[in-house]
Amino acid sequence: MLYYLIVCRSLTYAQRTAAALERAGITARVLRSPKSIAGEGCSHSVKISQRRLPDALRILQRVGLTPKRVYITAGDGSYQEVAL
Amino acid sequence: MIYLDSAATTLQKPAAVAASAAWAVGHLASPGRGGHKPAMAAAETAFACREAAARLFHVDDPEQVVFTFNATHGLNIAIKTLARPGSRVVISGWEHNAVTRPLHALDVDLRVARGGLFDQEAVLKDFRRELNRGADLVVCTHVSNVFGFILPIEDIAALCRERGVPLIVDASQSAGVLPLDFQALGAAFAAMPGHKGLYGPQGTGLLLCGVDPAPLLEGGTGSESKRQAMPDFLPDRLEAGTYNITGIAGLLEGLRFLQRRGLERVAAGESQLIRHMGEGLTAIPGAEAFLAADPSVQTGVLSFRLRGQDCEDVGEALGEQGIALRAGLHCAPLAHESGGTLDTGTVRASVSVFNTDREISQFLRAVREIARPRT
Repeated sequence: MLYYLIVCRSLTYAQRTAAALERAGITARVLRSPKSIAGEGCSHSVKISQRRLPDALRILQRVGLTPKRVYITAGDGSYQEVAL
Repeated sequence: MIYLDSAATTLQKPAAVAASAAWAVGHLASPGRGGHKPAMAAAETAFACREAAARLFHVDDPEQVVFTFNATHGLNIAIKTLARPGSRVVISGWEHNAVTRPLHALDVDLRVARGGLFDQEAVLKDFRRELNRGADLVVCTHVSNVFGFILPIEDIAALCRERGVPLIVDASQSAGVLPLDFQALGAAFAAMPGHKGLYGPQGTGLLLCGVDPAPLLEGGTGSESKRQAMPDFLPDRLEAGTYNITGIAGLLEGLRFLQRRGLERVAAGESQLIRHMGEGLTAIPGAEAFLAADPSVQTGVLSFRLRGQDCEDVGEALGEQGIALRAGLHCAPLAHESGGTLDTGTVRASVSVFNTDREISQFLRAVREIARPRT
């Protein structure tokens, strides 16, 4: 299944992001970022389904939590950055 | 036992506090340090606690709520962020050593806006005078830990905002008892313990951050691990090392308890008990109670002395009768100096929502007995 990962600067930021999405009815799960996309080492991401990205971006912009980096899973298990 | 030392630590807590902390020992791991269930459960608890605190203290963003080990820890972060050797720092005359010792260590130019006990106008006037002389920082307690005197923190904050002077609030005695609107105050920081009016376990505290802080400790944060500099974002910037997640689990229940009960009800109940206590003490020959004429300027903390008796002896005698309170200088010599009790110290009684009128009556009977002249 394809899904998006919103990479966040901190665990708490990821939790805020997930909470904002959940409040808007979008299922969001906080998880540790895969090492290949974690940036400066460890970080946390918010996982959402492929079809909810446009809604998610709109909601996050509205609440001032605009993501800096978003990745999509590729079929081979790697991740590709999405241009925002 | 009748416990009247809640200004130091609330001993009786809502049942959920101990239950949650005990449950956390076997179920919560380290937030941000793993993707497994116990780590993520710990992360959820920590976040819920930040959110509960942000709601209670009107903080915009839960990221501004930082976990500390106690109020002293938070005050050290705040003071060491904003004060430098030679900084002109204005404090009230009612500060605890948790404020004065870090300032002393920094060798600041310290100025005291003393005012008078239970006289908010006089305190405000002295703050205005000191701020008009020029200041780089104000550090002020919301409530005196010795006398329960409520300082006019909203007005002091307004003076600071008008002059662009950063304000650090020591909310050790007010958090969980009085409303504290961090956003409206516009304070740089507010520090508070978890184990007093918030009914959490010892080893917990909160620092509310309104400006960029400097870390007091450096270390692992579970974020940006490749970088050797501490993260530049909150709360990670100030939270190096493993949290006291068991304590935080308990603190969360304390915050939920307060949210359900409402601070107005907490304050009203404590005020009623302290009036009962103060009026009862005043009627005892040889007793001197520091009771405000205006109940609106005193919380559930009251100091008293018995003529001709050492305060520690009085505390000891009450302890022998199963009444737990604290005598001496309460780590606040400046407050005693301002209140005129530095030479004698005082006996301090302080209540929580779990005290009753009946306990206060028993306490008064015990004091009456101790105060009776020996023949």
